[in-house]
Order: sequence, then C-alpha cells, then structure tokens
Amino acid sequence: MSFAPSSAVLGRIDRTIAAYPERAAALLPVLHLIQGESGWVPPEAETWVAAKLGVPPIRVREVLSFYTMFRRGPAGRTVIRVCRNLSCTLAGAEDLIGFLRAELGLAGGDTTADGAVTLAVVECLGNCDNAPCLQIDGVDHGRVTKERAAAIIGELLGK
Amino acid sequence: MVGLSIDGRAVRVPEGTNVLQAAERAGVAIPHFCYHPALEAEGNCRMCLVEIEGLPKLELSCSTAVREGMVVRTAAERVVQARKDVLEFLLAEHPLDCPICDKAGECRLQDYYDAHGLFPGRFFEAKERREKKVAIGRGLLLDRERCILCTRCVRFLRKVVGTGELGVFERGVRSEVGTYDATPVANNYSGNLVDICPVGAITDTDFRFRTRAWFLHGKPTVCPLCSRGCAVVVESVSGYPLGEGERRVFRVRAGDNPAVNGPWICDLGRAGRRDIDENRLTRMVKAAAPGVDLSWREGIAEVAARILAVPGEERGARVAVVLNSFMTCEELAAAGELFLDGLRLAKVYFADPAPGSADRLLLTGERAPNLRGALEAGFQPRPPDLDAIAGAEVVLVFGPPIGALFTEGVLRRTLASVPAVYFFGSHAGPLDGLAGLVFPMAVPAEKSGSFINVDGLRQAFGRAVEPRPGVVAEGAILAALARALVPSGGGADVR
Amino acid sequence: MSQDAVRLLPADGSSWRLEAYLGRGGYAAARKAVTSMAPADVIAEVRKAGLRGRGGAGFPAGLKWSFVPQGGAGPRYLCVNADEGEPGTFKDRAILVRNPHLLLEGMVIAAFAVGIRTAVVYVRGEYDRVADRLREAIAEAEKAGFIGPGLFGTDFGLDVIVHLGAGAYICGEETALLESVEGRRGQPRLKPPFPAVVGLFRAPTVINNVETLASVPGILARGADWFTALGRPKDCGTRIFGVSGAVRRPGLFELPTGTPLRTIIDDYAGGPPEGVSIKAVIPGGLSAPLLRAEELGTPMDFDSLAQACSMIGSAAIVVIGDRTPIIDVLQVMARFYAHESCGQCTPCRVGTSWIHKAVSRLAAGQGRPADLDLILSLADGMKGRTLCPMGDAAALPIHALVTKFRDELDRAVAR
Repeated sequence: MSFAPSSAVLGRIDRTIAAYPERAAALLPVLHLIQGESGWVPPEAETWVAAKLGVPPIRVREVLSFYTMFRRGPAGRTVIRVCRNLSCTLAGAEDLIGFLRAELGLAGGDTTADGAVTLAVVECLGNCDNAPCLQIDGVDHGRVTKERAAAIIGELLGK
Repeated sequence: MVGLSIDGRAVRVPEGTNVLQAAERAGVAIPHFCYHPALEAEGNCRMCLVEIEGLPKLELSCSTAVREGMVVRTAAERVVQARKDVLEFLLAEHPLDCPICDKAGECRLQDYYDAHGLFPGRFFEAKERREKKVAIGRGLLLDRERCILCTRCVRFLRKVVGTGELGVFERGVRSEVGTYDATPVANNYSGNLVDICPVGAITDTDFRFRTRAWFLHGKPTVCPLCSRGCAVVVESVSGYPLGEGERRVFRVRAGDNPAVNGPWICDLGRAGRRDIDENRLTRMVKAAAPGVDLSWREGIAEVAARILAVPGEERGARVAVVLNSFMTCEELAAAGELFLDGLRLAKVYFADPAPGSADRLLLTGERAPNLRGALEAGFQPRPPDLDAIAGAEVVLVFGPPIGALFTEGVLRRTLASVPAVYFFGSHAGPLDGLAGLVFPMAVPAEKSGSFINVDGLRQAFGRAVEPRPGVVAEGAILAALARALVPSGGGADVR
Repeated sequence: MSQDAVRLLPADGSSWRLEAYLGRGGYAAARKAVTSMAPADVIAEVRKAGLRGRGGAGFPAGLKWSFVPQGGAGPRYLCVNADEGEPGTFKDRAILVRNPHLLLEGMVIAAFAVGIRTAVVYVRGEYDRVADRLREAIAEAEKAGFIGPGLFGTDFGLDVIVHLGAGAYICGEETALLESVEGRRGQPRLKPPFPAVVGLFRAPTVINNVETLASVPGILARGADWFTALGRPKDCGTRIFGVSGAVRRPGLFELPTGTPLRTIIDDYAGGPPEGVSIKAVIPGGLSAPLLRAEELGTPMDFDSLAQACSMIGSAAIVVIGDRTPIIDVLQVMARFYAHESCGQCTPCRVGTSWIHKAVSRLAAGQGRPADLDLILSLADGMKGRTLCPMGDAAALPIHALVTKFRDELDRAVAR
C-alpha cells in the first residue's frame, strides 16, 4: 500500500519545502498538510515523507509521536478539542467534558462509533477569557454552556 | 593547559577538557550515566552535577569546560543530595529486576545506589508497565522498563556507526527507545550497545542468563579476527560455579585502546569468543593408531625423523609447509629461521581466510591479524599451490584456515598422494582425517606474543585464558622441531 | 496612555488592516530605522529603553540582540515565539489577530538591528486559524513593500516564514523552539552554546516573544525616554495583562508595569463575582507561584514579584475563588506538567509524572499524610537540576501551592 497526497496538497508540500533553508525543517508543516487532507498520518505516509525530505523514516515517527496534535490513527470527520486547564476548569470544564463525552456516546475511546466526531481533551488553548472553551476543527468557541454544547453535538451527529 | 582544583587536588589539563574528564585525571570519579567520551555531551541524566565556586547553581561536569583557576567540589552536601535525588527518580520507575538481570554486578544504577546510602523507596504509585523483551536486532533485547533514557544507544548508532536504527518515541514519562517498525539494528557494531548501556536495558541473547558478572575473570588480549588488532578483554569462568577444572569463555568485550579501537570492537570480534571454546582439537591423534595416547613431543620426534629421511638437497622440493598469519611475530620468526634459513624450503605457503570487505570503522579486509608479522619474519606470503603440495613427500599444515579455502574433496585429492601429512590445528575440520598426525594447537587467546596490525603497530599480549589441557602453541612446536633437526647428518644446512 | 504603547485595537474586521495601520503612522519607525540609523544605534536605543522580554524570562531584549556577533558572513535568523502555551496566557493571540502589522514592524526593526534576513514566526499549532490573520497581514505587507527584499529603497530585506507547532508546551522554550523549526522533537538544547552564537540551523539567532517585538516600533517612534517614563525603573513600559478565572470581566488590559495586582483585578477586571472572595491568584501564568489573598497588593513588575517569591512570567493573572478546592488547582498543575514534559532529563521526566500520580491518588481519596511532604520533596529534587527551565516551572508553583495551602490540603487528605 503506497501513499500519495492529492495533487493540490502535493503542490502545497512542494512550495512549503522550498520556503525552508533545509528540507528536513519542513517536516512539521508537511505532516500538518497530510493530516489536513486525510485526518491522520498513516504509516505509508511516514515513509513517503521521509523520502521526500531526505530524512530517515524513524525520524518521522519520532516527531509524529512527540507532538500531540498529530494523529497516527483515523480520526472523526470533525475534531473537537476541549480545554481542561486552569481557567477552563474554574469555569466548569470538567462538567462540560463529562457532558460532551456522554452526548457523544464515548465510552472508552475518543471517536464516535460512526466516525463522525473525535473528542480530544487538551491543555490550555489560549482562550482563557472565554472559558470554558473548545475548538471545532481549529475554530475557537468560548463560554460554551451545556446548551450550546448540546446544540453543537446535535448538529455534528446529525450530519 | 589549564590549571584547576578538584576537591582540593590541583590538576592541569588541555584547554577544552570538560570538568568530568579533568576530575578523572585528578583521580576523582564523578558518577554519570549519559556521558560517554566518544559521544558529545548530552546532559540528560543530570547525575554529574557538581559545585563550581562562584556559580549559584550546580553545573554539569560533563558539559562544562574547565577554566583557569576553577574550584570544583564533587562531594559537597548539595552535590551528594542532587545525586541521591537523581537516583531516587531513576529507581522510582525502574523494575526490581536485579535477581534476573544480566547487568547485575556491573550496573551503574546498582553501583551508585550502593555508594549513596541505600535509602528506602518512597514510590508508592503504579510504575509504568512496558515491554521487557523487545528484539531489536542482532540478538539484542531491549527491556523498556529498565531503560533510563540516557540515549547512549541512540547516539552511538547515529554518531559512531552512522546507521541510526534506534530512536526515541513518545514524550515525557512515556518516552521509549525503539526501532522503526521491523527495521532492526543491523550493523557490525551492535554489540557495543550492550557495553555502553549503563543498566540492563540492552542485553545480548548470547550472554543472557548464562552466568553472573561477578564470576567472570577478564584478561586482555588482541583480537585475531582481522588486522586491526583491537584491544579486547576475554571474560571466562574457571572452576566454580562450573565444574572443577572446567573453563568456559562467556564473553569478549572491548578493551580501551585509544591508539587502535578506542572503546569499541565489532561484532565479528565478539563472536570470536566461540572460537576459543567450540570445536577444539585437544588430543594428539595418530591416524595409524587412533586409540593410542601420544604426547606432542613424541609426535614431533616422528615429524623430525620423517623430514630428516629426505636428503638435505632435496628438501626444498619435497617438503612443503603451509603457515598462516594467526601466528605471533615470535612464532613466525622461529618458523622463518627453521623453514627458510634452516631447511631452505621453497614450498612455503600461507593459508589465510579470504579477504572480506572492510567497513569504515574498525574491520579490515584482511581477516587475519599478523600478515605484517609474516613479512617481518622474511616470508613473502603466497596462497597454497596445490599442485606443488601434491608433489611433495612431507607436508606440514599449520592452522585450520586452509579448510575454508578449499573443499574437503580438493584437499583429499591434493594430499592423497603425499606420504606424510602432519596437521597442526586448533579446531576440528576436514584435515583431521587426512593427516598422519594431528597436533592440537592453542588459539591466540591462549598464547602470549605479538601481532603487527594494519597500521604497523606492534602489540604484545599475554595469555587471556589458560590453554585447554592438551593443546600446545606453535612456538613450542617450532622450538622442538628445530632442536630435533639440529643433530642432523645433513651437514651445515640446519643449525 | 495605554493607547500609545502596544495598542490593543478593537477586534473588528478592519482596524488590523494595513491601510488603517498606515493611517496611524505605521511602519514609520521601521522606515526611520532602516533608512537613517545604524544597526548598532537601533540596538542602543532598545537597550536604553530597558525593554525586557514579555514571554516569561524577562531578559533585556536589546542586550540579547547585542550578543549576536557583529559582522560575519552567513545567515542569521529571527524567531518570533508565538507558542503561547503558558496556561492563562492569551495576549500574543490578541496581537496576532488585532495588530499583526505592529508585530511585523517590530520584526523588521529587530532584524535590521541584528543583520537578519529571515524571520520564522513559530505559531502554536492550535493557533492555525489565528495565524491566518497573520498570513493575510504578511501578504499585505509584502505587496506594499514592508516585508520582502529591498525595504524602503535600501538593500535590507526580510523574509518571513510562518511555522506551526503541533501541540507541545515545551516548544515555548527557546531552544526547543529551534529544534521544532528544524523538524525535530521539541527537546531543549544544552546551553552554552547560546542561540545568539549557535541557533537555528546552527546560525546566530535571536528569539523574541510576540509582545516584546510589538513593543519595539513604539520605542523607535517615540524614543527610549518615552518608554522608560512608563512603568518602573528597572522594568519599563507597559504590558498586556491577561485576567481570567473568578472575575466579572476577564480580558486583556494594557497597563504600565508596576500596577498593583489588586488594581488590575478589581478596577479593570471587575473583581470577583458576587458572593465570591478571592482564595488565591496566579500572577504570571500557571508556572508563577500563586499568591494568597493578603499578597494582592504586590506591584506587577519583575522585581516586586521576585521578592514575593513568584514571577511576572507572561503576566497572565488567574483568579481562584474561595469556592474552588485548592486540590483541583493542584491536580490541573500536576497533570499539565506531566503531560508536557519532553522526557529528556531525569528529574522532570520522572518528577512530573511521580507528582501527578501522587496528586491523583490524593484527589481520589487515597492520600496519606506523608504525601504532601513527599510532593514538596520531589519538587525540591527538580528545582535547579533540570536541563531547561521547565523543571522549575513545574516544581515552583506546586511547591508554593502545597506550602501556602497546607492546611486545606491536610484536611483534604484526612477526609
């Protein structure tokens, strides 16, 4: 099974690599681009990226496993990141997280059975004056009440 | 040169030396895990922190360069406390494996804990559970629970060998060393990983569970498997816990010779431990009377008589000798005096292993240690001329390597027409059945002598292990042969 | 006065644009520096202004710039630290979104002063949408000739690369940031050598926080004396204070350094909600040891907070109300540092994890009286011993919390 990004993404990858003084430095942005398209970085992509940047495949795996935003397994079509750090906890994030997990029907894992939504509980998102906060596919939402959370979930699962 | 004081001792070292090495020169050993003189300072174990006068925080001795007038204290109270804290952190997530861990007895974690007070544990949480027997290649096993993430293994493969098969995955306390999927460690220097791992995280299946480090007796010699002449230490056990009179070699590890191999040896050299014990010839055998016990002196008397039976002026064509470059300089000199100067033999050959490929580190293409010793002794080594040998009347073959150069069938046909064949070999092989007399010979580790390596460096070595009972060294053979050939009726052609 | 410094503009769709920025006199300071000043004079002016880093360490910016060796061939780099991972901090985001040209102008001036031609803005991965605004501003600036080759008719030019992180707090540490830009795990480097000599791609490099660079145009436009007239003698200018937690009006407030903590909380952030009194305040991001209610008169500047055994850090104020069990705060701390430890060095790798495990056990009701002393002892084992400042960042706030709220924690354990 070999890996090939779409031609659009490949074009962006090539332009990105050209912007850096050393090819290997483009590793993080290239991984972001690949994840942006398929939702995660499969093992075949690791060897493809390694060859593309002239780094050993083990280096790609080392980087992938270090940074928490990279996913090495398939994710839901929508990714929700919800903050559990201090300002959000003071504003009730623990309850909100519990509520989200229940609404999404997440027992042990992070992704709904139908593959619609992945819920990632993360550290501070830098939106502390709007606690409790979350991101939906990278877009910030603040002061998220249970009602709003329910509405968001409903919309996502309804899709 | 820079002068500084370490625990009150004055020492002068070259500029650029780090404090840890300067302390070694001053006779002060600073505990450390991740530092290795052949690798760049990494600074992650935090064990080598010392107090430097004038600086508020403790500093890493491994990565701090000496300065003129520096005052270093390695035993101050807060230094000792810092070490205890590092030890406590390491032990917190370390499994209590000592009873089943090969590294026990030569483990830095054990040694430092022993030296720093044997304090009780305060860790009551659940330890991280990880895989304990990951096969990473070349017979090596990785125990991730024991690993202290010093990254010596990772850095060694990247910087020294250049193959980089190991990396660090995940983050924080979940960090773990590993290979990329099924791409294993696959280089000729993998054995060094076991040596440099400060704990029992990387072990060798060749050594696993076979003995205990404190039973081993290590003695230095020079590795005979190529012409690099790496310093090695042969580790063996004699007697308890083996049987009385039993001797077994368990391990060959690197000796440290800055002029030749530094702190590394290759896997070929390590595997050479098998040559010392396995498949050895230990008994004089006379083909005509196999059950009879014969001493090697009696054997030599027969060989000498047979050579003397050939008229002096015909010996050059009718006596053939096959030597090898595993013999010491001293043995080769004696062989030169006897066979070239004394007997004036023309049919003198060298059967050495076929050349292999050299790697860019230690291993040379020549797969015998002492070609230059042979040259010094006056030989012009050439491979055996089988037709010439077949036409000889007496053939002496020293060493088993000829068995690897020619097939048994070829050797049989060559020697079939030779009336007297004498074999001087350390290991059993195809020649055993073709010789009239088989002499059991010592291996280099059982001998003392010298080799001249590929760079022309002469290295003397002593016995690393006691010879197997019954074996004899070439030196003794040649001396006895020379003495036996002296009172000859052939005139002045033999001393 | 707070209008004159960093200028937190309204978060609307137009105030950030180049046209509006130029209308306010934007890029004039950069033009002045690049066309009429010597680089050494720019450094001198910033040193005279006493601008201290706004990312957390507070190192004098001009002094840092002066560490890069003068002259010399070969590339040099400016890295802009927009990693903003310190919990409670959201000021750099606001600059990126509401005043990106101010940052770009500061970058141009800094790069000119140090002879740098390429800048990398390291934006934390979670700010990808935030970075879109920056990318738009860069496009505007490039089109108008404020970024790119040959600025203001000179042969000085500056290229900008926007580089996204991927979820690692440790990449806010300057050498870990460099590793991350180079496409590696974000593991801090040993110092020396310092980045000014061996930095990005082994070349001399300056790393500055977003807010630090955004303070530079004002200094060049209005002069160092204007800057030193604001704030405190050894900590000049204004800062953007972030306030969150148990307050009525969380948000960002640009005020002179030295403003008392109480003033910021009560007069600007509206004080705690009805019926809630303040139990504790974190003054400078999660890594700044917290202060008890009676310590809130402390002026918010480097020295005053250092004297109070805390730090100004990222000036991120988090107010903890009296209804919040302090154990909850401790748990957030312990979990955060264990999660973010890069794992490279022993005390942080094991220490943060051990503390996290012990605190979790405590919070689950299985604590023992000796646990609190154990946690203090573990924090002591990490302090000053680690490869990078994150060891202290993890140890000091936990040590302070357990010490200052020992009674409450003892009671929690006893239950």
